[in-house]
Amino acid sequence: MYYVAKVDSNMCAEYKCNTCTLYCPEANTLMFDKAGNTSWVDIDRCKGCALCVYVCTDMLNRDCITMEMPNVGEG
Amino acid sequence: MSLKYITPAERFKKYLPKDYVELVDYGPFGKTQDQAGPGNMGQFKELVEEHPMCSGCWMAYYIRLIFASLPCPEETVTLGTAGCGRLAISQAAVPFVYGNYGDQNAMASGLSRAFRLRFPDKTKDVITIAGDGGTMDIGFSMTMHSWIRGERFTTIMLDNEVYGNTGGQESGMSPKGAVLKMAPFGKNFEKMPATGLAIAAGCVYVVRMSPTNIKKAAKVIRRAIFVAREVGPTFIQAYTSCNIEYSIPTEEVFADAKAQEKDRFQFEEFMTDEAKAVIERVEAEEKAASKARKAASKAAAAEVN
Repeated sequence: MYYVAKVDSNMCAEYKCNTCTLYCPEANTLMFDKAGNTSWVDIDRCKGCALCVYVCTDMLNRDCITMEMPNVGEG
Repeated sequence: MSLKYITPAERFKKYLPKDYVELVDYGPFGKTQDQAGPGNMGQFKELVEEHPMCSGCWMAYYIRLIFASLPCPEETVTLGTAGCGRLAISQAAVPFVYGNYGDQNAMASGLSRAFRLRFPDKTKDVITIAGDGGTMDIGFSMTMHSWIRGERFTTIMLDNEVYGNTGGQESGMSPKGAVLKMAPFGKNFEKMPATGLAIAAGCVYVVRMSPTNIKKAAKVIRRAIFVAREVGPTFIQAYTSCNIEYSIPTEEVFADAKAQEKDRFQFEEFMTDEAKAVIERVEAEEKAASKARKAASKAAAAEVN
């Protein structure tokens, strides 16, 4: 596996923002949960480009998204 | 296709693939841009997904944006040709016709004429989405002739300034001096003036842009489609970088698109008076409809309370 985006839901929910979901090159991957007011990542589809990290960190100064190694293939 | 054709009978839904049923229930078919448009991508099921484009591909992003901006996806047909773009476009839930090496605009001419004859009571959108090679090199004659004939459909050029799918040969749209894997001494010639050629050939709405502002990019795509329905050929040249051939780190792809917006892809919009009249009329209608919907939902909410 490789590094994929991970959204810190608690931090993300503090802002009224869905900017990262608008700039992901993969459709139906970085989704927005309206009820929880947070973005979330479908890790099976994420290709790990880190464009969302650029949007969240460099553009908006929010640091809600990090690139992490997912736990897959266990059991 | 049509909305009626896409929507399955309720009792058959349980036998159909889950992905298809979700697309009908949560996709953009038959919905307005406020409900399922570029402004709320990530909150509805989009028409294109799980494509084989590279990680961080800005072309894949722009294709996603095109499909989210379609005014009427159930009445749209896309055409493309060899290149990276068709890998994603051909997978979208919109009928796609594959042109043989650059003849997408010739096919689109016939297709849009046939639609007007076969469905005189309907509005069918024909859109060709091809790369810079397909539009301006290999398909150059067919593209130019379709514009000169005044064929009423939209041409979108995904300009990545290189033949990305075949290992990095220079294209007519590569900038002068570009050093690429298959052009190691740098390109000797100037970048082709695509928008100038389009205007000279008779396109009624021409735009050159780098899609960094989502609202603006969506507005341009919709304008091009609306004008093509009534007036004549429309053309969009959009910067969709190739992060592999131009060695752009994936996380900097967006920053690169912004830098190009100030450089080779400064926003340029050309429209004839006729096209302007159509745009003003359609946008005023859309605004009024959205206002009416908002007022209706407000009234419904007040009634519940």
